[in-house]
Amino acid sequence: MQAVILAAGEGKRVRPLTRSRPKAMIPVANRPIIEYVIEALLKNGIRDIVVVVGYRKEQVTRFLNQLDIPIEVVVQTKQLGTAHALLCAESKISGDFLVLPGDNYIDPKSIAHIKDIPNAMLVKEHPNPSNFGVVMLEDGYVTRIIEKPEHAPSFMVSTGIYSLKKDFFSKIHGNDITDVISLMIDEGEQIQAIPAGDWQDAIFAWDLLRMNRHLLSTLLPAKEGTTSRQTIIQGAVRIGKGTTIGPNTVITGPVFIGNDCTIGPNCCIMPNTSIGSRVTIEPFTSIGNTLIMDDSMIGSHSLIKDAVLGERCTLADHTSASPVKGILEIEGCVTQSEFGAILGDNVKGGSFSLYHNCIIGNNVTIEEQGCLKSRNIPDGSMVM
Amino acid sequence: MCGIVGYVGRREAAPLIVEGLKKLEYRGYDSFGVATIGKTLELDKHKGRISDNAQSASHLKGKVGIGHTRWATHGIPNNINAHPHLDCTGTIAIVHNGIIENYAELKRQLKARGHTFRSDTDTEVVVHLIEEEYGKKNDLLFAVQTVVPKLEGSYALLVIADNEERMIAARNASPLVIGIGDGENFAASDMTPILEHTERAMFLEDGDIATLSRGEVTIFNHGKVVNRPLELIDWSLEDVKKGGFAHFMLKEIYEQPQSFYNTICAVNPDIIPEFVHHPLTVTVVACGSSYHAGLIFKYLMEESCRIPVRLEYASEFKYYPPPIEGLVIGITQSGETADTLTALKQAKAHNCRTLAITNILGSSVSRLADATIFMRAGPEISVAATKSFVAQLAVLMQIVNNIADRKCNDMLLHAHQAIEEILLIDLTDAVAVCTLAKDIFYVGRGPFYAVALEGALKMKEISYIHAEGYAAGELKHGPFALLSSETPVIALCTPGDTYGVMISNIKEMKARGAPVIAIGSEGDSELPDIVDIFIPIPNTTPFVQVLTSLVVLQLLAYYTAVALGRDVDKPRNLAKSVTVE
Repeated sequence: MQAVILAAGEGKRVRPLTRSRPKAMIPVANRPIIEYVIEALLKNGIRDIVVVVGYRKEQVTRFLNQLDIPIEVVVQTKQLGTAHALLCAESKISGDFLVLPGDNYIDPKSIAHIKDIPNAMLVKEHPNPSNFGVVMLEDGYVTRIIEKPEHAPSFMVSTGIYSLKKDFFSKIHGNDITDVISLMIDEGEQIQAIPAGDWQDAIFAWDLLRMNRHLLSTLLPAKEGTTSRQTIIQGAVRIGKGTTIGPNTVITGPVFIGNDCTIGPNCCIMPNTSIGSRVTIEPFTSIGNTLIMDDSMIGSHSLIKDAVLGERCTLADHTSASPVKGILEIEGCVTQSEFGAILGDNVKGGSFSLYHNCIIGNNVTIEEQGCLKSRNIPDGSMVM
Repeated sequence: MCGIVGYVGRREAAPLIVEGLKKLEYRGYDSFGVATIGKTLELDKHKGRISDNAQSASHLKGKVGIGHTRWATHGIPNNINAHPHLDCTGTIAIVHNGIIENYAELKRQLKARGHTFRSDTDTEVVVHLIEEEYGKKNDLLFAVQTVVPKLEGSYALLVIADNEERMIAARNASPLVIGIGDGENFAASDMTPILEHTERAMFLEDGDIATLSRGEVTIFNHGKVVNRPLELIDWSLEDVKKGGFAHFMLKEIYEQPQSFYNTICAVNPDIIPEFVHHPLTVTVVACGSSYHAGLIFKYLMEESCRIPVRLEYASEFKYYPPPIEGLVIGITQSGETADTLTALKQAKAHNCRTLAITNILGSSVSRLADATIFMRAGPEISVAATKSFVAQLAVLMQIVNNIADRKCNDMLLHAHQAIEEILLIDLTDAVAVCTLAKDIFYVGRGPFYAVALEGALKMKEISYIHAEGYAAGELKHGPFALLSSETPVIALCTPGDTYGVMISNIKEMKARGAPVIAIGSEGDSELPDIVDIFIPIPNTTPFVQVLTSLVVLQLLAYYTAVALGRDVDKPRNLAKSVTVE
């Protein structure tokens, strides 16, 4: 069996985090999302994997090259939709195959359920179906797919994971796989709907926090770094090589800390936090329910809750990011959300700054004592 | 410079050797050939690249075989001069990497004794000499042992003969690795062809002769059995494959943040030898890109440590009076660059301490120098040096940092982030300008002069566009006459002492109508207004800006070469490392 992973799209609604990587490469619980997809396939004995890359293809390819198993890479030069992306992989496919989005988490069990049934798709109920392809079912077969409807007739959505036959390629007209599936249904072909087990998608950047929390829930504790004897560690905590945790730091799992970090003394790391590699967290800082990528620095006496920090961010002392409810416009769509802050790469925040429910673009500089609430600051801005 | 591969074992040899030769193509690619011992000795050799002739040679039968991919030194590339070479009887075959210096004399003697020569190569004398000795005892090992002392020059040899279930390998001054497999053994110019099959390797020393059979490898030196340590090679095979990248060069450009970071971490004070901690003077010998790395080192070292640095092309070093004292550093990615080896030998002869900086474990330079620092770039396949260059800089910057009391530690540990960042840059406009140009000038001042030289070298070697690097101040002393609206100038203009004078240089060049592409700091308000195309790099320290501007120039050369349809990884007339003077 072969599998095609689609990882060419940028994931515009997750901006600013997609400047240097597509959504599939965003690290959640310290591993890019696509790695979970590949792992789920491998657990099902599917080793013949093709990845379609496009946006920031070099970064994706470089990552795939360092995995243990060889992965075939094909390039989609222009991002014209999922069916077009799939067509790019046509020459590599010889029989029945699976299609999976590279930017959604899927558990191995769901793949086991679908892999032996040709012409099937994984479906799942979702509380906000309007962001997906909504499917109508009858006796376990799909009768209709409606792509991102304003008023969804059901809560059942397509996960974007399909099991298809080789002849699917000859049916491709239009740009999206759902279009082709709709056409097949109209022509009388039967598409089986298989309920997915554990499937996670992040539509907006703050959804990454939910995905992070979910993936951390199965974290196995491990300690490779140096921790002071006065450090208090509870729950599942994983500490990478070369990391030093200073005295009187309290870490309550699940928490995943990468390699070569410096944390503490006197810090407090609360549950559902992932910290990348080479991150510095200065004394008297408290962090919880947060995702921090590589090479970032958080100054002393800060409070960071419900936040996503890109790479190379520097937040000065006395920074506060905490969740409030607010309304933001993302890619022309007004949405309500509740989170602390989403920071792109290389954000420099001044001391005594407050962030509530705001998205800060890449390379933004914020002067001291800034107070931002429900704002979406574009890349490269200077906030005075 | 040539690549050789040998196999003896339980599988069909020819397909394995062909695959191995493809991986060695960076060492030479003008002709190739394979010989195996099937029922009789079988031979297939061609002019051209092995990757373009995928099916040829694989059909040969037999479980013992040797192969060769050539970069011509003696005799033009054609079918006849391609290796392997056979003796008069057609029962002995040989492949050779290196140069037999006394071949003319030997050839005359052999001809007088009635041997017929088919090719113009120096190699063929060896096989005829072996033929004479083999006739006496029918013992191939004895024959090679008797012949080798008669040879002068450099060689890595692999010999097979009809009716012999083994292969004989000999080495002097050319690289040769023995790979120990399970019921099979390998020999090759470097690890890349072997990695797929085993990670256990032995590096032969000068004067070693080894006999390889299916289950056994015995090494002799001057007739005595010797042991060479078994080393485990931790390169993964993926490292030497192209992955999904269009070219090795692009793959290697994108691996630079990791190469730099790994090297910075690996080169800690314990690795840097004691005699490098407080040198009185430093002499750097290097060729090509490595020379440019040396030039950047000279600026950094003299400025940060106040230690004078002399920098020479390794090939010119012997024509200057040698240093009487101080430290001599030889920089070579492959560790096999003939000129650098000679220069280091000369320095040693004058009692100087020598330090080698190289990427290849077990390479000749590491045996020669008093101490060696390995960079951690991983295998570099593309002929144009990219990641090995930044790794060289990482080693050199760590040496400077170490002498300057490690005050730059923090900056070096985070420098790879800036390289990562610069990889996102969009160069479409600049590439469009370069693609149309016949000549391009690169100018810079201070360490950026070295960056200009390296940028120009990258451009000319892979895009075949005439490109020259100049110190910006030197432009007015002649090259200015060449400027016109058809000669783009790439100017490196970053904040610092040189900024003001660079700005006025750029204005002068603009006044002559030359289109100017400037690389400057993000947020510069003056520069973008006076130049045609402005390429911003992050506003950081000069150390880091040297690295980032360099990566910009590598990408510029790469995309220009791709736009012009050049063979980026194997530019015409060039070989990865130059093992002849």
